Amino acid sequence: MDAVEKANTARQKRWVKDRKVGEGTYAVVYQGREASTSRKVAIKKIKVGQFKDGLDMSAIREVKYLRELHHQNVIELLDVFSSKTNLNLVLEFLDSDLEMIIQDRSLVFLPADIKAWMAMTLRGLEFCHRNFMLHRDLKPNNLLIASDGQLKIADFGLARDFADPGHKMTCQVITRWYRPPELLFGCRYYSSAVDIWSVGCIFAELMLRTPYLPGESDMDQLKTIFRALGTPTEEDWPGHTKLPDYVPVGQFPRTPLRDLFTAASGDTLNLLSRFLVYEPRRRINARDALNHAYFFALPHPSHPSKLPKPAAQTSRPLEELDGNVDIASAGPGVKAVAPNKLKRKLTSPDGTDLRPLARRLDFTQHVKRS
Amino acid sequence: MATDFWASSHYKRWIVDRATLKESRSDDLQYVDDPEYLDFFAIFFANVITKLGKKLNFRQRVIATAIVFFRRFYIKNSYCETDPFIVIAACCYVAGKAEESPVHIKNMVAEARLFFSQQPYGVKYFPSDNSKLAEMEFYLVADLECDLTVFHPYRTLLSICKKESSNDLQTEAGEVGVGVDDGPRYWGSGDGQLELPDDAFQLAWSIINDTYRSDLCLLYPPHLLAITALYLAVVLHGPTRELLQQQSHSVEVTPVHSSPRRSSRQSSSTSLGHAKKPSQDFVAFFAELNISMPLVATIAQEIISLYTLWERYLEDSDLVDSAKSAFHGHAQAQLGASHSGVSTPVENLDDAQRPHGATPTFLLQVLMRMRENRLSDMALASSGRPVAVNKMLERTQAAG
Repeated sequence: MDAVEKANTARQKRWVKDRKVGEGTYAVVYQGREASTSRKVAIKKIKVGQFKDGLDMSAIREVKYLRELHHQNVIELLDVFSSKTNLNLVLEFLDSDLEMIIQDRSLVFLPADIKAWMAMTLRGLEFCHRNFMLHRDLKPNNLLIASDGQLKIADFGLARDFADPGHKMTCQVITRWYRPPELLFGCRYYSSAVDIWSVGCIFAELMLRTPYLPGESDMDQLKTIFRALGTPTEEDWPGHTKLPDYVPVGQFPRTPLRDLFTAASGDTLNLLSRFLVYEPRRRINARDALNHAYFFALPHPSHPSKLPKPAAQTSRPLEELDGNVDIASAGPGVKAVAPNKLKRKLTSPDGTDLRPLARRLDFTQHVKRS
Repeated sequence: MATDFWASSHYKRWIVDRATLKESRSDDLQYVDDPEYLDFFAIFFANVITKLGKKLNFRQRVIATAIVFFRRFYIKNSYCETDPFIVIAACCYVAGKAEESPVHIKNMVAEARLFFSQQPYGVKYFPSDNSKLAEMEFYLVADLECDLTVFHPYRTLLSICKKESSNDLQTEAGEVGVGVDDGPRYWGSGDGQLELPDDAFQLAWSIINDTYRSDLCLLYPPHLLAITALYLAVVLHGPTRELLQQQSHSVEVTPVHSSPRRSSRQSSSTSLGHAKKPSQDFVAFFAELNISMPLVATIAQEIISLYTLWERYLEDSDLVDSAKSAFHGHAQAQLGASHSGVSTPVENLDDAQRPHGATPTFLLQVLMRMRENRLSDMALASSGRPVAVNKMLERTQAAG
C-alpha cells in the first residue's frame, strides 16, 4: 500500500456511514457522522461501479466547485475519499430547505425573517460571483437550511465559471420558474445577472408564499413574466428583439408591483424591482443588492436561530432514524424527512413537497417543480 | 478559473517543490538508463496531449488543463507502472468536462484509439471498450483528489497586457481572440495594461504554451509563469527589445520613432503602430507588478533550459503553435542586430550538445523497456526490493 492509498484509507476511516437516506440516478446518499466528533454529515456515494458512461457532468461540476468554495452560506464539501470503485463526497448535513419552509403553512414569516434569508442568499451568491462562478439553478429547493438556521446555497450541478469572452454558453439552465427572460429568448452570452433574476423570483415567493412566475412551458413562462411585469419595450431592454429565440408573445401592460405585494415596504419593492429588471446589464448585482437600503432599514434581519423552521425536525423520534428506510419512494420513509405527516398533508394535498431527501442532495436531477 | 487563487486547491495542494517531484520519479529512476529521458517524457507526453486535444477541437485552455491533470497524476504515480496512453485519454476526457467542453465517452475512445494507433505511437492495445476509460477516469479523479479547478497563465497575460490591435475589434485565430463586449468586464478595466505589438503578444502566448512541456506548471503559480513569459517576449521580440535598450541607455523616456535598425522580417504594421504612440516604460511596468523579479529570473532560466532540452527533442512533425522556432529565430535575429553584444543565455542554445537527441519512437522504446524491466522485477519477488503490486489492478480486483 503506497502513501496515496494510506492517506485515502485514513480519510475513509474518519467518516462513518449510518444509514441510506436516498438514491438518485448515480448517487446514493447516506446520513453519517464524523467518527471522532459524531458531527452529522451527509455522504454522497457516486456510483461508478459499472464504469459505463464515465462520471456524470453534474458530478464533475459539483465536485469541481465545492472543492474550491468555502463560505458560510455555501454548502460545505468536507472531504472526498474513494472506496473500491466509488467516489464519496462528505457534505454538511442540512435537514431542510427553503421550499419546505415556504410551503409549511403553519409558519408565519415576519418581514425580518425574509430579510434574513435574502441577506444569506445574497451573501452566498455574492461570494460565488466574486469568484467568477454562475450557479445557474437557484430556487428555494436548492437553498438548504442548517439546524442553526443558516441558509446554504447547494446543488452546483449546473454551475460553471464565467466563460471566456466570446465563448457561448448553453441557455438551457435554471429551473423554468426562476429563469430570466434573456435565457428564454435563447441568449448564449450571459452573466451573473441570470442568478439575480432567480433571486428576485425567490424574494417574491417568500412574500407570496407561492411561486411568483409559474409558467407551464417555456413559452408560457415568457407570457407569465410579461403579464406580471409588462411586456418590455425597446427602451426597457434595448436589442432584445434581436436575440436568437425572440418571439413576440403579446402586449401586456406594466402593473405596479404594489398591486400584488400590498404589505411590502417601499424599500422592499424597490429592491424587488431592481432584481427583476429586463435588461440584464441594468439588473442590480449581488454586491449592490447587499448594500441596498432595504437591508439597512428597520426591521433588522432576524437572527438565524430565530428563523421559522419546520417544527418536525426538532423532535424526530429516534426509531425513525434506524432501519433501512427507502425514502426515495414517497412511501412510509418520507417520515424520516418530515415525520409530522398530518401538517404536511393538510398544507399540500398534491404532495409536491413530499420530496425524498435524495432530491435535495442529488445533483443529477433538475426536475422542474411543476 | 474559479475562486481566488490564494484560497484555491491549486495553490494549497498542487504547487509542489522539486524534492516532491524528485520523489515522485524515484520508481522510474530505477528503471531508466538516463534520468534525462524522463525530462524528454515531459515534452513528449505534453505533445501527445496537445495533438490529441487538437483532434478533439479543444481550446488551448482545455489542453492546458489536461496536461496539468497528467502532471498531477504522475506526482503520485510512476510512468513504469501505468500506461501513459490511457492516462492521457482520461486526462483529456476529464479536462473536457471540467472546462465545459465535454466529449462523449464513445467519441473519446474512438479518437484516442485511432490517434494512438498511428505512427509514431503504434499503440494497438488501446481498449475499444468505454468501461476501461471510465475506470481510468475514476482513478484519475480520485488521485486528483477531485481538485478539478486549474488556473492558467493565459488569463493573467490577458489582464496585464493587451495587443495594440485590440482596439479595433478584430478576431484573431485561436484563443487570443478579442471578446465580445457583453456584460461587465471581470478582469479589470484595462487601465495600466502593457500594450504590446501583436506578434510580441503572440510570442508571450506561445511561450506560455511551451511551459507545459515541463513541470513548471507544478512548481510555480501561473501568474508568475505569465509574467515570465511576458518578460521573455519583451526581451526577445525585436522592436520591444530595441525600445528596452534605448530606455535603459537614456534616463529620460522619449517617444520612439520608427527605429532605423531592424531586421527585415518585422512587419511594417507593428512599426507603424509603435511610431504613433509614446513608448511605454517596460522596466517600470515590471517593477510595479509587485512580484519577486529574482524569482521571475529563475523561472526564465528554467524556461530557457527547457528550450535547450527541447532543441534536442526531434518531433516528426512540428507543432503549429510552438514558440520554439520563433524563439530561436528571434534570438538569432537579435544577436545579429545588437552591436552592443549583450550576452544572453540564449547564445548557448545553438552550442548545445546536439548528439544526444530523442525522438518519440526512441522514447516509446525506453518506456516499454522500463515497464518490462519492472514487470520482470516483480516476477522475481524474492529480489529483496519491496514489490509494488500494480495498484490499479489490485483496486479493480478488490472491486470484483
